[in-house]
Amino acid sequence: MSAAAVGAPPHVRGAAARFDHLLGQPVSMRALALLRVLAGPVVLLHLRPFLSDALNGRIYSDAFYEPYAAWYPELPGAAYVGLLWLAAVAAVAMSLGFLTRLATATTFAIVAYNVFLSTTHFHNNRAYLLIVLGLLAVAPCGRELSVDAWVRRRRGLPALAPSAPAWPLWLLRFECAAIYGASGLSKLVDPDWFGGTVTWQRVVRARDELGALPDWTVSVLTDRSFHTGAAKVIVLTELFIAVGLWWRGTRYAVVWVAVAFHVAIEFSASVQVFSFLAIGVLVIWAVPSTRDRVLRIDPTAGRQRRFGGLVRLLDWLARFRVEPAPPGSPLEIVDRDGATIRGAPAAAFALSRLPLTAWFALPALLLPGVRRARRKRATIAAAPT
Amino acid sequence: MVVVAVVLLQVGFVARGYLSDHKEFAFQMFPESSTWRADVVRVTADGRRVPIERPWSGYRWDELVQDRGLRYPAVRHHADAGLDNQLAFLGAALDWVADNTPRDAETRYLEARVTSWHNADPPRVGVLRSRVREDAG
Repeated sequence: MSAAAVGAPPHVRGAAARFDHLLGQPVSMRALALLRVLAGPVVLLHLRPFLSDALNGRIYSDAFYEPYAAWYPELPGAAYVGLLWLAAVAAVAMSLGFLTRLATATTFAIVAYNVFLSTTHFHNNRAYLLIVLGLLAVAPCGRELSVDAWVRRRRGLPALAPSAPAWPLWLLRFECAAIYGASGLSKLVDPDWFGGTVTWQRVVRARDELGALPDWTVSVLTDRSFHTGAAKVIVLTELFIAVGLWWRGTRYAVVWVAVAFHVAIEFSASVQVFSFLAIGVLVIWAVPSTRDRVLRIDPTAGRQRRFGGLVRLLDWLARFRVEPAPPGSPLEIVDRDGATIRGAPAAAFALSRLPLTAWFALPALLLPGVRRARRKRATIAAAPT
Repeated sequence: MVVVAVVLLQVGFVARGYLSDHKEFAFQMFPESSTWRADVVRVTADGRRVPIERPWSGYRWDELVQDRGLRYPAVRHHADAGLDNQLAFLGAALDWVADNTPRDAETRYLEARVTSWHNADPPRVGVLRSRVREDAG
């Protein structure tokens, strides 16, 4: 318990103790390990314009820039360029999980140094990248999905515990939700935004870029009254994402909406690495436990065997243990609560829990047949034994 | 303690975003549809006003100022991160050019006559000036 809570009333002490327990409780770092893997390419994408300039013999100080502070250290050109290349190498090592802690901390330190060199370097997507890298650097997320773990296995050393105190995960969840919340709130309190003026003007000014769309679409998109509603949908979507991520009942719907939202942004605006990063970060909302669902396949049935292979290949969050079932058995999933789901609904359910296929498979869970199977499953699980 | 500190810091940054020109960690995305343009001139020691579109003393504005939509200020642009942010960058760019053009012995200061359109509001005109270069002329 924190020192400040020691002299506090009992209910405050209780809340502080629960909070401490929540943050200190060991949870699986698998989602952060996967995010670490995904973050490497995002860092390379982020560094690309700086490295491209460097290859052409230019660095930030050759043109207008504005230091945050006079005391902030600036390196000679060659050393600065060397540092950028070191960051690129470190980002690759971070993704591979080679000397993971060192690589991640190095990536974070150099990316942060570069961003804070000038106010002109700062963008929202880079701020988000800094937050993600900072939290990956403090979390032990190199114990899985890493060269480090492979080397330990090769040397016959015992694997390091894949669980660790939950606070970096919770902090990243807070930051993830805060970003959508801050963005949505700033639009909600701005009458021009919430009323549709901002989006309408942006679209009207970009009318020339809408040339590929059918006339009726252009007509709708440039209609002022359309934006009166559309702006509210955008604002409420951001707030829905910020709030809905915290509840299991809405989380899958939110993740689906968030992916669609970011894909739409990526195609309609220039946001540097934001879309890739934001979609990647969504993996941290997976329940931080692993192999707690069982997928049973009949290895004598070709389709089931192939499906099992697909799940093994794409189960980057380690949701499933794949086990053999007796010949002639249907595909079966045993969920965390012990309930079972069989056949096509089980396949849809499994695909909805894999990062790469979740967005496509989640709507299938709304089909009547799958819903009936899931309801039956829930009833069985709730029945007294 | 770390978690509480980071949460409070983040909330502080979000609040600061409503007051500050630069909105670091405030995550105000696509805040405005505002646009702006500026006629930027060099005001020389003998009072001439020379547009920065003309190269001077071996310098070109579009080589000196390349970032944050400031390369061609005479062209009307979207203020990506809001007008306050954009004009703060323009002001800083004027200062930077004034301070980093040592071969230029004639410019006393740079001046930008800025026309800005905040969302759908009528245009406003303002003037930004760089620091005065004492060694000019």
